[in-house]
Amino acid sequence: MIKNLNIQDLRSRTLELVDERVRIITAGLGLKELRAVMRGDPTTERPNPRYRVHITSFIFHIRPRYYEKASTWFTHTFRLGYLSVLFFLIEIITGVILMIYYVPSPEGAYESILLLHGNVPFGFLLRDLHRLGAEAMVAFVALHMLRTYLTGSYKKERSFTWLTGVALLLITLFLSFSGYLLPWDQLAYWAVTIGTSMAESAPIFGNEVNLLLRGAPDIGAGGLLRFYLLHVILVPLLAIFILSIHYYKVGREHGISLPARIEEGDLSKEEKKAFTQRIDYIPNLMNHEIFLACVVILAIVVMSAFFYNAPLEHHADPQKTPLDTKSPWYFLWIQGLLKLGDPVLMGIVVPTLVFLLLFAVPYIDRNPYRMMSKRPIAVAIGLLFVVALGILSFMGTPLFGIETPPAVRIVQDLAPEEGIGPLRAIPYDQLEPGVYEVGITDSTTLPPELALVFVEFENRIQEAEEAGDLPDAQGVMVIEDWQSDLRKVTPRIIWTDPESGEQKTYEKHIFLHLDRRRGE
Amino acid sequence: MTRTQLEIFFGLILVSIAVAVIIYVGFTEEESMAEQVRSQHAEAIEVGAELFEINCSGCHGLKGEGIPGLAPGLNDPQFFTNRLDEAGWEGTLENYIVSTVSTGRTVSTRPELYVGGGKPAMPAWSQQFGGPLRDDQVLNLATFILNWEATALGDVELAELPTPGAEEAADPIARGEQLFASSGCGGCHAIEGISFGEVGPNLTQIAEVAATRKDGVSAEDYIRESIVNSNTFVVEGYQPNIMPQNYGQQFSGQDLNDLIDYLLTQE
Repeated sequence: MIKNLNIQDLRSRTLELVDERVRIITAGLGLKELRAVMRGDPTTERPNPRYRVHITSFIFHIRPRYYEKASTWFTHTFRLGYLSVLFFLIEIITGVILMIYYVPSPEGAYESILLLHGNVPFGFLLRDLHRLGAEAMVAFVALHMLRTYLTGSYKKERSFTWLTGVALLLITLFLSFSGYLLPWDQLAYWAVTIGTSMAESAPIFGNEVNLLLRGAPDIGAGGLLRFYLLHVILVPLLAIFILSIHYYKVGREHGISLPARIEEGDLSKEEKKAFTQRIDYIPNLMNHEIFLACVVILAIVVMSAFFYNAPLEHHADPQKTPLDTKSPWYFLWIQGLLKLGDPVLMGIVVPTLVFLLLFAVPYIDRNPYRMMSKRPIAVAIGLLFVVALGILSFMGTPLFGIETPPAVRIVQDLAPEEGIGPLRAIPYDQLEPGVYEVGITDSTTLPPELALVFVEFENRIQEAEEAGDLPDAQGVMVIEDWQSDLRKVTPRIIWTDPESGEQKTYEKHIFLHLDRRRGE
Repeated sequence: MTRTQLEIFFGLILVSIAVAVIIYVGFTEEESMAEQVRSQHAEAIEVGAELFEINCSGCHGLKGEGIPGLAPGLNDPQFFTNRLDEAGWEGTLENYIVSTVSTGRTVSTRPELYVGGGKPAMPAWSQQFGGPLRDDQVLNLATFILNWEATALGDVELAELPTPGAEEAADPIARGEQLFASSGCGGCHAIEGISFGEVGPNLTQIAEVAATRKDGVSAEDYIRESIVNSNTFVVEGYQPNIMPQNYGQQFSGQDLNDLIDYLLTQE
């Protein structure tokens, strides 16, 4: 028997066996073919086994065998839809790991985040990735919709795809917003309190919706658990379901739209043929998508590791309303709307109408053309919509239309309730104990960073005095040693109330410890 | 090279860089986690300091020095060295603080030294026992109180402010008001809208009441006598020997006059 066996035989026999196994795993691609795919070479077998993959493999069956060349141009789609899905995947992976450490109860949630930061290797990085990925996902989904609108890719057979897309936008917004509550810090608690109280102001069923969401008249253990389960189970499942429909429609039914000028433009037959030639998914587009994934992973890892820290404010406190409540950036436009008028009209009716209109866009716009020049009104409305969202978002920030008493404002700007701010950024050894009076203390004698903050305090008080907001204003900043490694800073502003003529005082006690992080 | 090959090549490079970044983070992770823990501890002290000032300083003193006769000092060597043995406590000092703050004291453990702020001697602070604070706030308070160890044992000396004068009000009545707050009077005596103590008589209308207490004694003299030597006249329903007897030594003549001026405005 040994005689019969030669090395050549053994080698080819083994290769054959391996090849057979590989074909089972790759749904039809042999070793040679796989190598060709990796190198971007043309196929090695006839009929092309790469097409078979799209039938036999579940993952690939929702992707098309090929796209027409012009529809794969980068400047046509900017890959926004693919990037949205990529961020969704990153969210699922990081989210599942975060679930190991998270405790969904008001007693445990905040503590579990502190432990994640201080006791879990890569814990903070994971949370940064999850948070940053969520923000990016919202941004890319919105941009994807804008692109689809501007290129007119929602018409005719793509109407229903657009509809699923708007549903996915809503899902993305809700996913991101429900995740907001989970750390159970002040930011979370008050953003969600405002969000759900908007639901409460809805007519007829508002109270019921609010009770269902919060589980009680106020957000507590019940509300947190509900938002948690919505965030980690129900809404992601819904997202995967609708996303599958969305993908199937694009991949198997109508493909990515051609740029309008190729579809409708005045092109010769040869040109049109060149622009619509087939580009196979395997290997060209698949490799391209993997490449984009590499770019995104590097970008988000570098951002999270060096430039971004997911915020964590103080423990949620129902008794303490923060001075500056701010919704997440993608809901600032609603906050802006709320400043314009009635909460039911502006907080419920208008946003609902906006989303209903978005759903209905393909059914309202019956213009068959896709080129921008042939649909000027639609394009103008779209751009106006974007500008309006921008303006409303600005109006939603605390910069607009919020009247804070001037003395409170000055102190809040120096030492905000949450975050770092100029005062907390001063190195501990420069917080020299003493009594510093506006207009009397010579700031050049102070340590440099303290001097900067004190001059700012001085200038703001003098400006307010000149503007008549704080007549006869006096300002004092007292810095005291309070415990070992703990100092107390008391900014105090005294002024004469213009109406009653009484002397008023505002002061705040700020405690600063040596070991507290002094950067974002 | 084709575009696909370029993408594979650069994709591999990008992923390698990402992996390198993660490995780098891994090397510094130990240190940054330790920094997180330090910062969280520091933040707990800061939050605890705020809570102490609002909730506890009325009886235990603004800087934890305690108020004689009312509540013990916490910025105190005895508290850090002896208190657990004295109380027969098995756990740590942190456990002791958390337990005491959470449940309060129905009666004082050392009534001869500190009577406490009425009934109960110390209220329960945890929401579990009907108080206003969440458990994480109680823990922050404990972290803050434990941070007094260095100064209480004399390992660290804190500099007093060079010129307290800048804070001092020029007006005698305003100075008296400051003294009322800083000497802990409010811990035992209530003045409507200012303090809530229940151990001693209510002082909301003391300017009127004082003139009627003893025949032939003016309101001013009565108040002075009550501060310096409180046992000469004990209001019905209150116990003698509870108000500290050393205010005569503690206050300067000017202090006493200002305090009396302030109390005479309470009518």
